[in-house]
Amino acid sequence: MMTFTFFATSYLGIAGPGLDLKSSFVDSLQSFGLSTEMARLLWLPLPMLLVLTAAMVGVLVTVWLERKISAAAQQRIGPEFAGALGVLQPMADGLKLLVKEDVIPARADGLLFSLGPVLVLVPVILSWLIVPFGQTLLISNVGVGIFLWISLSSIQPIGLLMSGYASNNKYSLLGGLRAAAQSISYEIPLALSVLAVVMMSNSLSTVEIVNLQNDAGLLSWNVWRQPVGFVIFWICVLAECERLPFDLPEAEEELVAGYQTEYAGMKFALFYLGSYINLVLSALLVSVLYLGGWGFPIPVEWLASWLSQPIDAPLIQLVTGSVGIVMTVLKAYLLVFLAILLRWTTPRVRIDQLLDLGWKFLLPISLVNLLVTAALKLLFPLAFGG
Amino acid sequence: MTIATSTELICFLVLSTVIVLGSLGVVLLENIVYSAFMLGGVFMAVAGLYLLLNASFVAAAQVLVYVGAVNVLIIFAIMLVNKREELKPIKGLRLRRIVSGAVCIGLLVLLVRVAIITPWPLPGPIAIGEEATARIGEHLFTDYLLPFELASVLLLMAMIGAIVLARRDVYDSELLAGDDMKEGLIEQTPTPLLVDKSSP
Amino acid sequence: MSAFLKQVLGYTSDAIDAGKYLLKGLSVTFDHMRRRPITVQYPYEKLIPSERYRGRIHYEFDKCIACEVCVRVCPINLPVVDWVMNKETKKKELRNYSIDFGVCIFCGNCVEYCPTNCLSMTEEYELSAFDRHSLNFDNVALGRLPTSVTTDPAVQPLRELAYLPVGKIDPHGVASDQPRAGHLPSDLLNGLQKEAPLEKKSDVELSDGENLKG
Repeated sequence: MMTFTFFATSYLGIAGPGLDLKSSFVDSLQSFGLSTEMARLLWLPLPMLLVLTAAMVGVLVTVWLERKISAAAQQRIGPEFAGALGVLQPMADGLKLLVKEDVIPARADGLLFSLGPVLVLVPVILSWLIVPFGQTLLISNVGVGIFLWISLSSIQPIGLLMSGYASNNKYSLLGGLRAAAQSISYEIPLALSVLAVVMMSNSLSTVEIVNLQNDAGLLSWNVWRQPVGFVIFWICVLAECERLPFDLPEAEEELVAGYQTEYAGMKFALFYLGSYINLVLSALLVSVLYLGGWGFPIPVEWLASWLSQPIDAPLIQLVTGSVGIVMTVLKAYLLVFLAILLRWTTPRVRIDQLLDLGWKFLLPISLVNLLVTAALKLLFPLAFGG
Repeated sequence: MTIATSTELICFLVLSTVIVLGSLGVVLLENIVYSAFMLGGVFMAVAGLYLLLNASFVAAAQVLVYVGAVNVLIIFAIMLVNKREELKPIKGLRLRRIVSGAVCIGLLVLLVRVAIITPWPLPGPIAIGEEATARIGEHLFTDYLLPFELASVLLLMAMIGAIVLARRDVYDSELLAGDDMKEGLIEQTPTPLLVDKSSP
Repeated sequence: MSAFLKQVLGYTSDAIDAGKYLLKGLSVTFDHMRRRPITVQYPYEKLIPSERYRGRIHYEFDKCIACEVCVRVCPINLPVVDWVMNKETKKKELRNYSIDFGVCIFCGNCVEYCPTNCLSMTEEYELSAFDRHSLNFDNVALGRLPTSVTTDPAVQPLRELAYLPVGKIDPHGVASDQPRAGHLPSDLLNGLQKEAPLEKKSDVELSDGENLKG
């Protein structure tokens, strides 16, 4: 995240008004005598690397937060000795997993066994493509936007089934089947609640969705227009991430560790990373879809006009950009905090309760929500994005 | 040749190779689980082709529907059934293979011929890219409304059929005997989510 | 139709109730976050075992008369008393004595019944070993005294909850000279002695007090 602002400061002078990092980067390379195409090609891997790093750092922070908050909720101290307040503990965990022996069980299917974790992790990382941290601070503002995330997250069950099957272990297979069933069931209410938001903002693009919410700051956030959708989305996201009320696929008491049972070392680390990246990503998307994304509770434009500053001034642009990043991350981490709190509050549901909740409760309600949103959009086109 | 076009060409070649080899694998592999996973790979590669054609919405829909739903269901079914059946040797297997191979090659030749002699308008219409989503929606709800609705009715029928097949216990004993259906078998009273508040 | 409506209403109220209870649960969890941790960071901090703590058994070889009472009262006849009859002196001669702490349940029956008080319970509880056979203590090992938590310079001794001053929950930072809540038995006796002369000045009562003290 910090690096974004670094780029902003170093190229802002060339870029002029607006925070377009790509064009400023390309311009600056051209001034060194490179062709436009080469400069664009050089720019290509930079945001990807940046977002990959951001995702990894996000995971480290989340793991640390999870351990510390869990400890606080149970009146423990939590990690303490690795670095100040134990901030290096996740790093130590990761290092440990890196140097652990990579075991492939004797009767397992080696190829599928190795491919499974990759198929789980890659779609999750790919989905970071569409997470905006600011008006132009995202890798790619693809037209299908949020739909890309939904379709990518539907690949995950294949990886889970693959690793469950390849482990040659009944617990793994059961865990994989449960995970796939859970993902498929909760994908539908999730997509329907996203659809209601998309209907209001007339676009699938995440940038457009956030822009619609930032006319009047806090009051124009989607959470006020879509309270039911917000709750449904949050529940479904928890189920997709296999967070605690819905962590049946890896229920320790019944399935050892579900589809992860036979995994060790780096392959296990891929699952671990995948689940935490998914959690952070989901929190980011909840903040994008319902909590106004990068928007400050009071619109920055208003603040600028009160301070009688032109909104296009480089300094204001820089401040807006950094505030955007901070706000997005802050909202996401508040939601992560809520997820951790929920983890220590709610008991695990049974598989029949899980499917009941998904098919008999969330699905009808999200359908009704969609219908009501459509009706409200026709009735009050001003408030519901006509 | 610019970087962009050569990249496109390489992508196209890789994707087509994956599709052809993957499809052959789906048909020829002995292990049905491998076939199912290969099918997923083929679907993904087809989605990649759509992306190359600037049809990102279709590509995403392809991934969502074919990989996320159809292929997962196929794998799910395979894993739930888990039936190891020894294939019996069939008489005249060789002849059968030759005949089916000949039919397949004939079909391929036919397709290639069609592909060659059709006067394709080249270059084709310009891809509308980002506009595609809105355009698809428009078409679905104007020109193609009837097929769209018919498809949904078909899906509904399939769903009801599946439910009837799955709940054969109700169907057989009650419906055929002409008795009233026991409501309890169809809709069981939900167990309350919460503990009864009146009891301490 | 009304039945259907009733069902829907019931379901809705169920869902709302569930949400309400969920919020209640969340508030409980949230409330726990502001409470102080009660962790004792073990290798560096240790709790002082209570007065009647039943830890590893201490044994004095010289006091033992090889009566085997400890074996008889033990639920599983655990202590091994290895003695021979000396024909000349017509006395038992003890050769070895051992208790396997991998099997012992620390019930303290042997200590209770030992006629010569050669068995006693210590406050040692750190009995982990790499090999379970090394938990079979012979008379030499049984005769060793454990290091006290309070005298170990590498350890920060912490008092248990029952031994803390009134109103304290956290043992950290409590000075060692601060008295525990309530009275020690000796305090009660001292109090009795002070009160007795004031209230009842008969000599009989006073002598009773003296007897108690003795």
